[in-house]
Amino acid sequence: MISIYRPTLLAALLAAACRAGPPTPGAAPAPALPAPGAAPSDTICRIAPGPAAKRDTVAVALAEPIDPTHAPQPRNDAERFVFAQLYETLIRVDCAGRVLPGLAQSWEASGDRWTFTLRDDARFWDGAPVTARDVVAAWRARDSTFAQSATILGDRTIAVRPPVAPVEPLADPALAVTKRAPGGDWPIGTGGHWVSETDAAGVLSVVPVRRGALPALRVSTVPAGRSRDALDEGSDLVITGDPVVLEYAATRPGYVDVALDWNRTYVLLAPGHPDGLADIQRESLRDAVHLDARPAEWTGDQFWLAQLRACGFPTTRDTAPSSPRRQRVVYDQSDRNAADLAARLVGLGALGKRSAATGLAPAAFAAALRAGGDAAYVLPLRRRVFDVCRAALELPPWSWTATVEPLLDVRPHGLVRRGLPPLQLDWDGTPHITPR
Amino acid sequence: MTFRTRILVGFAVVVLVPLALFGIRVRTEMASRLTDEYQRRVEALAAVIRARLTRDGAAIARRLDALTEAIVADNRLRGAVLQGGDRTYLLDYAGGAMRFAGLSMLQIQDDQGRIVSSGHFRNEYDRLEPALPRALAAAQGGIALIQARTPEAPMLAIARLDSLRLGGRRFTLVGGIALDSAYLAELTPDSELAVAVLLPTDSVPAAVSTAAVLSDFSLPFVRESDSGSVLRPAHIVVSHSLGSLAALRRGVDVAFVAAVLLAGAIALLLAGWLSLRISQPLTALAHKTAQIDMDRLDVSFDSERADEIGALTRLLGSMTERLRARATKLREAERRIAMGDLARQVNHDIKNGLTPIRNVFRHFTETAATEPERLSAVFRERQGTIEAGIAYLENLAGNYARLYPAPAHEPCDVRHVIRETIGRLGAAGTPELRVELAEDLPLACTDQLVLRRILENLVGNAVDSLDGRPGTVTISAAAGTPANGRPSVRITVADTGKGMTRPELDRAFDDFYSSKPGGTGLGLSIVRRLVLDANGALRVETQPGAGSRFIVELPGA
Repeated sequence: MISIYRPTLLAALLAAACRAGPPTPGAAPAPALPAPGAAPSDTICRIAPGPAAKRDTVAVALAEPIDPTHAPQPRNDAERFVFAQLYETLIRVDCAGRVLPGLAQSWEASGDRWTFTLRDDARFWDGAPVTARDVVAAWRARDSTFAQSATILGDRTIAVRPPVAPVEPLADPALAVTKRAPGGDWPIGTGGHWVSETDAAGVLSVVPVRRGALPALRVSTVPAGRSRDALDEGSDLVITGDPVVLEYAATRPGYVDVALDWNRTYVLLAPGHPDGLADIQRESLRDAVHLDARPAEWTGDQFWLAQLRACGFPTTRDTAPSSPRRQRVVYDQSDRNAADLAARLVGLGALGKRSAATGLAPAAFAAALRAGGDAAYVLPLRRRVFDVCRAALELPPWSWTATVEPLLDVRPHGLVRRGLPPLQLDWDGTPHITPR
Repeated sequence: MTFRTRILVGFAVVVLVPLALFGIRVRTEMASRLTDEYQRRVEALAAVIRARLTRDGAAIARRLDALTEAIVADNRLRGAVLQGGDRTYLLDYAGGAMRFAGLSMLQIQDDQGRIVSSGHFRNEYDRLEPALPRALAAAQGGIALIQARTPEAPMLAIARLDSLRLGGRRFTLVGGIALDSAYLAELTPDSELAVAVLLPTDSVPAAVSTAAVLSDFSLPFVRESDSGSVLRPAHIVVSHSLGSLAALRRGVDVAFVAAVLLAGAIALLLAGWLSLRISQPLTALAHKTAQIDMDRLDVSFDSERADEIGALTRLLGSMTERLRARATKLREAERRIAMGDLARQVNHDIKNGLTPIRNVFRHFTETAATEPERLSAVFRERQGTIEAGIAYLENLAGNYARLYPAPAHEPCDVRHVIRETIGRLGAAGTPELRVELAEDLPLACTDQLVLRRILENLVGNAVDSLDGRPGTVTISAAAGTPANGRPSVRITVADTGKGMTRPELDRAFDDFYSSKPGGTGLGLSIVRRLVLDANGALRVETQPGAGSRFIVELPGA
């Protein structure tokens, strides 16, 4: 049985989330805080394909690479799934927008602050208890602004003067609590799973921290075109967006196709103001990619990256580039769909007849994106963010005033084998293995 | 221009000019033959490429035929094309079909020229490009060069056109293989041969046209563009680099320059050696000849050479001998004239000396006749006059005796005369006198008195040249070089005195010339005359500050 989450609730959540703004000085009372409560017993955000069979190990096949150095901030669907099992934030937000306990078991609003109390049994994988100091240290490592607003009240109590409202930004993976692992690739987290080993084939053994509470995960990354083999080999969960694989899965009665959240939006970032972008028919872009895609949709007047006025960023647009831009549309060559979209834009002549699509290796693409010396860039962004200002900081400064053209929303699908233990969907559509 | 310079220039012309002509001829011939060979290779490769293009065009046609059959048989594609379903399959179809068929480009258009599927540019679907198949249909032989669009960059391909009908609609297929650098490289295994494709807007770079042998042929060309597609000629240019020829030329130039330098060096060395062989003896001969004058006819012109220079040397020696004989006669004539003058002078001097004596004796005669008692008084009175006259005559006789002793040509023991003379001079408190006498010294043919006077003058001069400073005077005698089968005696008087400068030497044998205060200036003049009268030779070697050597060669007895 599949419980479908409610898009309307998500829209409400997004609308609330996008009321982002700079920290407000003064002693204004903290915004209203949802009361802590136990995990809801409803099935709104649950994926339960049939009666669950007891399994000690769940085989998961993912279609994208997993890089431990990105943890805990995912950059693709595969990392989003794996990191969600390994790392925790103070709170969780489920697919219905409900705030649930995470690392914090309770919280309350007092004056202009929120006070969070950590779980009594919150521990890192190495057995060390998680303290308020650990939380602030983890925040400081990735978001110093947020860390500055935190006050340690006790070993397990932390007060936060919220820089933004509401509280949902605390569920952003960027604020997951980790600590450095000496000599290891993976940061030490507090989640229910940890990575015990990675074999020669790149298969991750993700085992529960406490035996018996959760099944172990055997996570393999399969190259494009081999996801069907993963189905044939009996994988319990395959996360992919390839229509060919989805079509094949439909012929396998043992699997259920669950469309996850529209979690990414492919955008065109142009440092200048290219002509012809307004004439793009987004509908015609859907056929250009090999994903479940739709013309980009967003809440409000503009895509979130274009809503940065309240962030205090420079607002002068780059109308006079210091050097002539290269007439090329650049994409990360490891992202086939970005390549397809760039080719489609060139095919449409959206950036002029002389433009060309150019794929760069991931590192080179990141460097080119930072430099902003090309005509345009095609890349996927998170479709929804709780804190647009902090999310914008993950992009080069020139993008804050660039032309942002959302092209397509895409979503992965979870091909779930019947009998799999229930999965809980988070606010960004990430499946989460729930305790038995 | 000196004789040596002329020889050097002559050698340079004789050696370098033919070498230069040879080098220029080699370069010209080499360039001509290699250029012809390159042209043949370029033409052959152009023919091979034309044949290859024809073959590839036929292969493309076969593959498109097979594809049309596969498309017609594919129901899924038919549904996607005609009924609009399964869009992804349709868009991906051309890519898979292109790869299966071994093509580099494949574009499927509907009857309106709309791209329904593209293999080389999947996402150019729905674009209208009706001019492309029309242009290809007009291409001669059905094959054309296409500049097709791809997402990254335009692609050149050799392409053909085919068509099929589906559900009553006509679809066209444009397929081809890439004419890229790999294709061209496969055609040109030789690194010096190159194949380039020049589009209608391109021109052969000047650097290529001047540095290569070219051949080209045209091919219909169409550029896939938004503004429509028309056929224009493109050129496939085959070129052969002239780099190897240039390298060969450089090699020949280097070898030629090396040969010129080597030949030039050898020529210079040979010319220098030859000129030295010729000019050096001539210079020495000229130097000796410059020494000859009437007073210096003792210069030797001996030569063992059998060539012209030896003959010239001997001729000059013979001429010097004749001059020497004539000079002897001339000096004899001069001596006779001088003797006449001297006789008259002696006559005059003796008369001058005898006249007072005669007058005194006349006075004595008159006194004896008239006043005999005063004779003794008169004698006492006039005795002084008589004695003065006698003294005058004795002095006169002494002077004349020193001026010219009577020579005699008789065997003379040189060792004895030298010892006797040195013994006398040494006793007079002179500086150190060394004597070095050879044991087997032959007898000289001369007058003992003449030899003594020669030695007295030379040794006296040597002692005087020391100017009272410490030094040595060495008198040596040895057998000289036999002349005309007769032995000779060489007497050398060497001192470590002040020596003579060139002007002093030039005048040393002049009468009445002396560099010594109070000298008569007759010593060396007398010595030279005495030596010549004895049929000998006198030579002087001197250096200012280092001393002088007087070498007397006297004929043996």
